[in-house]
Amino acid sequence: MIKPTLIFLLIITAGMVARAQDSRLQMSSLDHLAAKASQTVDVSLDERLTRLAARVLSDKDADEKAVKKLIEGIKGIYVKSFEFDADGQYVAADVEAIRSQLRGPGWTRLVNVTSKKEGNVEVYTLFNGDQIGGLAVLVAEDRELTIVNIVGPVDLDKLAKLEGQFGVPDLGIEQKKKNDEK
Amino acid sequence: MSDDYLWDKTGQPDPEIQQLEEILGTLRYQPKPLDVPRDLVVRRRRSYIPLLAIAASLLLALLAGGIWLRLRTHSDIPPQQALMETPKPEPPRTKSAPNPPVVVANNIKHRHRSASSAARDNEALEAKEQLLLALRVTTEKLSLVQKKTQIRNQHRVG
Repeated sequence: MIKPTLIFLLIITAGMVARAQDSRLQMSSLDHLAAKASQTVDVSLDERLTRLAARVLSDKDADEKAVKKLIEGIKGIYVKSFEFDADGQYVAADVEAIRSQLRGPGWTRLVNVTSKKEGNVEVYTLFNGDQIGGLAVLVAEDRELTIVNIVGPVDLDKLAKLEGQFGVPDLGIEQKKKNDEK
Repeated sequence: MSDDYLWDKTGQPDPEIQQLEEILGTLRYQPKPLDVPRDLVVRRRRSYIPLLAIAASLLLALLAGGIWLRLRTHSDIPPQQALMETPKPEPPRTKSAPNPPVVVANNIKHRHRSASSAARDNEALEAKEQLLLALRVTTEKLSLVQKKTQIRNQHRVG
């Protein structure tokens, strides 16, 4: 009788571990900020919806074609952005709830710009072996808190190609990558 | 009287003690064979531990199933409409056919199918809008990262 119970518990634990290694961030702890924010952007696109969106992206339009290529293989895009009219509407614990997840295994901080006046900007990537399995951007300013989470293989080359389209600025990602390779 | 009588029944007995012994002696244990009634049914006491273990396993399985279903349905919930206003795409119109002929279909099945496909199209368009909005925010923020990194590098060089 002990054996089946142990096997069952092992299956559950394995499932939990697999979930823990997922690059999706849990951002529901920030939902309460929507009431305080003057402007909120909340986008939650899972794999199904991302595929659905890809289906209606035009192949004739160059911009949309580029987006279509970019989101190939992506399992989800989640954005939460809050803009406030006054300072101090969110607390350090709100940011820490996200940052603590980004300290988990696999995540690497690529960029961290800290400014007392302008707040913090951080970029993280999750590596599955040599491949990027997820991307997270955390912007914590006095009157703004934004978290972007892309789940799945993010092709930085494709993202670099998207720059300049849809008002996407040139990030120099491709150049940086090439320099790193050298 | 010595206490030896009370201890091991030696020595001189006390009449009061003897009297008490006689009175209480009737209640003394008297060995006799065990008289088991013939119609007595002997029942084995059941051990409930295996049953309890099975019940606990089933309960755990149900609990895990419930959690799994909840997580699954949670991830399947359509995303909340972004609060940022975005222009909704208008359905494509052709100049040659401004008023397409309305076909009255008696087939209910067909009507259901077209309704569901229209709903799916709407969902796809909404998903596209959300995707573009998400990418816009993402690239804006990445641009901000780039600007801040450049400013920091300039400060370092300066």
